[in-house]
Amino acid sequence: MERKSKYLVISILMICAILLGACGPAAPQTIKIGVNAPITGDIPKVGEGTKFAAEMWAEDINAAGGLEIGGKKYQVELIIEDNESKAESAVAANTKMITQDEVLIIIGPQASKQAVPAGQVANDNKTPMISPWSTNPNTTLNRPWVFRACFLDDFQGPAVANFVTEEFGFTKAAVLYDIASDYPKGLAEFFKKAWEGLHGAGSVVAYESFTTKDTDFSAQLTKIRDSGAEFLFTPQYYNEVALIAQQAHQLGFTGPIVGSDSWGSAELIPLCGEDCYGAFFTTHYAAAGATGATKAFIDAYNAKHGYIPDDVAALTWDAFNLAKKAMEDCGKITGDIAADRACVKDALSKVTGFEGITGTMTFTPGSGDPSKCAVIVKISDKGEFTFYKQSCP
Amino acid sequence: MKPPIDNSTPTPRKGIRRLWHSFRQLFAQTPLLGWLFGFLLASILENLIGYPLARVLGLSKIPVLFGVDIALKTPLLLPATLLYDLIIYIIPLFLTVRYLTPFANRLAAWLLRAPMWVSALIHMALLFLVLYLWTGINDYRVLVAKLMMVSIIITLSLNVVNGYMGEFSCSHPGFIALGAYIASIITVGFFVGGNLKFVILPAYLAPLVFPLALILGGVVAALGALLVAIPSFRTRGDYLAIISLAFMFIVKSMFENLEILGGARGFGDQPNLATLPVVFIWTMLCIWIINNFVQSTMGKALNAVRDNELAADAMTVDTRKTKMVTFLFAAFWAGIAGGLLAHVIRYVNPGTFGLQKLAEVLAMVYFGGLNSVIGSIVGAIGYNLLSEMLRPLELIKWLIIPLLLILVMIFRPTGLIAFREFDLHKILQPKIPAKMEEVENVPPSS
Repeated sequence: MERKSKYLVISILMICAILLGACGPAAPQTIKIGVNAPITGDIPKVGEGTKFAAEMWAEDINAAGGLEIGGKKYQVELIIEDNESKAESAVAANTKMITQDEVLIIIGPQASKQAVPAGQVANDNKTPMISPWSTNPNTTLNRPWVFRACFLDDFQGPAVANFVTEEFGFTKAAVLYDIASDYPKGLAEFFKKAWEGLHGAGSVVAYESFTTKDTDFSAQLTKIRDSGAEFLFTPQYYNEVALIAQQAHQLGFTGPIVGSDSWGSAELIPLCGEDCYGAFFTTHYAAAGATGATKAFIDAYNAKHGYIPDDVAALTWDAFNLAKKAMEDCGKITGDIAADRACVKDALSKVTGFEGITGTMTFTPGSGDPSKCAVIVKISDKGEFTFYKQSCP
Repeated sequence: MKPPIDNSTPTPRKGIRRLWHSFRQLFAQTPLLGWLFGFLLASILENLIGYPLARVLGLSKIPVLFGVDIALKTPLLLPATLLYDLIIYIIPLFLTVRYLTPFANRLAAWLLRAPMWVSALIHMALLFLVLYLWTGINDYRVLVAKLMMVSIIITLSLNVVNGYMGEFSCSHPGFIALGAYIASIITVGFFVGGNLKFVILPAYLAPLVFPLALILGGVVAALGALLVAIPSFRTRGDYLAIISLAFMFIVKSMFENLEILGGARGFGDQPNLATLPVVFIWTMLCIWIINNFVQSTMGKALNAVRDNELAADAMTVDTRKTKMVTFLFAAFWAGIAGGLLAHVIRYVNPGTFGLQKLAEVLAMVYFGGLNSVIGSIVGAIGYNLLSEMLRPLELIKWLIIPLLLILVMIFRPTGLIAFREFDLHKILQPKIPAKMEEVENVPPSS
C-alpha cells in the first residue's frame, strides 16, 4: 500500500510538471544576441570589458522597454559564452550559440586568433557576426556575414604618416619596431610604405628593429639620432614604449615620438612618466576630454565598475549599437531565424554614417570592414590622453 | 576449512543501497551490445519526440549536453531538464537493459562464433549509428563529438609514452602542431590556394588526398620525435622532460616566424574534410593499432623498460630500440590527431600549441589512467564533456576541474582506470557465462 501511494505521488507530480510546462505563460518576444568573449584565459581583462559593456547596453535597452523594431518592442536577451581565449572554444561557443541558442547576431570574439576561426563558423551557418577588436584582415576576408567595428592596420599606418606630414611638415622619419612580434612588424611595414609614398624613396632614414624582450635600445636609438630623422614612430606595447622614450631622451633625441593604438593602456604613464608627455598616438577613442555620447558611456561605465573603460569596451559598445541599428533598419522580426539573420546582415552591410562613440562608421557592400576615422591622442603635460584631432580615410 | 560464503543469500540492504545493488546486478549481466541497443533506442526516441517533448517541458530546444548547461544558466529549468533526461535517456536505457539483455547476450554469443573482427565491426557500426543519430540533432554536438574523438587519439598516443614507457614527455603539442600544419599545407595548397598554391586539384579528390596528408603529417611529427629522441635517450630520467619541453617551444616559435604560413596570425581556410565518419574511422583505427601495439611483444618490453631498465636490458630487451620506436610511434599518432584537429577547427595558429595545450593533454592522460587504453578513452571523453558542460560557470569551472584532478590524484594516484588491459573478447562477450553453454548448444537457425 505504502509503495503504491509513493508511485501515485510521483506520477501525479510528473503530470503536474508536464502540464505546468505546457500551460505556463507564453515566453515574451525577445531578441537573443550572442557574446563570444575571452572571460577566462590569457586576456581576462578584455573579456571583462566586453562583458561589462554588453551588460550595460542590454540593461539600458531593456530599461527603456526594449528594442523598437517596426513599431513593436522586443526585450533583449544576452547569451554570453566564454571562449577561454582558445580557438577551439571560440568555435564551439559560436556553434552552440548559432545552433542551440539560435541567436540573431553574435558580437565577438575580440582577439584575432579566435575571431578568424569563429568567423568561419558564423559565415558557414549564415549568422551575422561583428568582431569589435580584431584587426587581422582574414577575419572578414571573403566572408559576407562577418563584420568588424575597428579600423585595420593598413589604415592606421597611413593615418600616422598623413597626420605627421600635415601637422609638422616633416620629411624624414625613423621607425623602431619589434621584428619578432606580429602586430608591430605589420604596422611598421604599412607606415613605411605610406611614408615613402608621400615623401619618396629614402625618406625613412632609419628603419631599426629589435626582438621581443629586449630592454636596451641605445644602439638603434644612436643610429636614429645620427640619421637626422625629425621624429620617431614606434608601434610598440606600453612597457617597451616607456623604455624607448626614456632612452631616446637620454641619448639626446629631441623630435616628437609617435605611436599606435597599442600605446593606449592605463599603465603607460606610470611606467613612462614625463618622457612620454607631448607624445602622440593613434587609437580608437580618447577618454579624457570626451563629449556627448562618448562621455556618457565613460561616465556610466566608470560609475558602475570603478575604472575608465579601455578601447575594447568602447568598441564593444559600438558593435552593439551597430547591431541595434541594423535590426532597426531591418524593419521587422518575422520569427523565422534564417530570414531575420539574412535581413540583419543585409542591413548591416548598408550602414552608412553611423555615429559611434569611437567615430563615424560606414560599411561598403561586399566588405565587412568599416571606413572610420582614427583618433590622434596627445599625451598632455599631466599625463592624460587628450583628443588632438581625427584622421580620416 | 570454512565453507565458501554463499553469495546468493541477499544481505539485508536498505533504501538507496538496495536500489544500487539491484542496479548493479541488472547491469552486470548486460553486454556491450545491450548498452548499444539502449543508446540506439534513446537516440531514435530523441529524434522522434525530442523536440515536442522539450517544448512541452518549457525548454526552447532539445537540451544539447543532457541539459547541464541549461540547468547551470537558469536553475529554474532544472526539473524540466531532469525530466527530459529521464524520459529520453534513462527510461529507454533502463527498459532495454531490463528486457533486451537476454536477447543481447544471445546475439553477442552468436556473433562471437564468427571471427572476432566481424563482431567488432558490427559493434563499431552500431556505435557509429548511435553517434550519428545523437549528433544529428545539433551541429554543436557534432563539433563536441569530433573534438572528443581527436582528444582520444592525442591522449592514447601520449599514454603510450607517459604510461606504458614511464617517461615524461612534454613535446606532444609540438607533434600535434607539426601534424596540423603539414596536413593543412597539403589540403590548402592543393584544394584552396591563396597564399600557398601548388596545383589546384579537383575537389572530388580531396577526401582521397586527406588521409595521405594526415599520414604525411604523422610522419613529419615522427621525424621531429627522432630529433628529440636521439639526444635525450642517451641520457636518463628527467632529461627527456626538459628536452621535449624545449622541442615544443622550438616548434611553436618556428611556426611563429614562418611568414608564408601566416606567422603568429595563423593559417586558416582548411577545407571541411574532417567529417564525423572520417574522424570516427581514424579514432577506431588508432584505438585498434595502439591497443595491438601495447599488447605486442614490444608493448611488454616497454613495460619491462619502465619498471627496470637494467633488468630489461639483462633479459635481452633492446631498450634503446624499444624506446625509440615507441616514441616515434606516439608522435606519429599525435601528428594524425593534429591534422584532424586543424580540419575540425579549420584554423591553426602557433599560440594554440603552447603550455596550455600541454597541461590539457597531460590532465586527460593522468585523469583517465596510466597504462590503460580504456583509461585514456575515459579521460579524454570525461575531460572534454566536463569542459563543455561547465563552460557557463566561467571562472568557477577552472576551480572545479583542477579540484577534480586533485581528488583523482589523491584517491586514485594513477588515474581513474589505470593498468587495465583492453581485452576485446572480454568486452564483446555475453555477460552470463553459465547460459552461454546453452546458447552454444542450440543449433544455428538457418
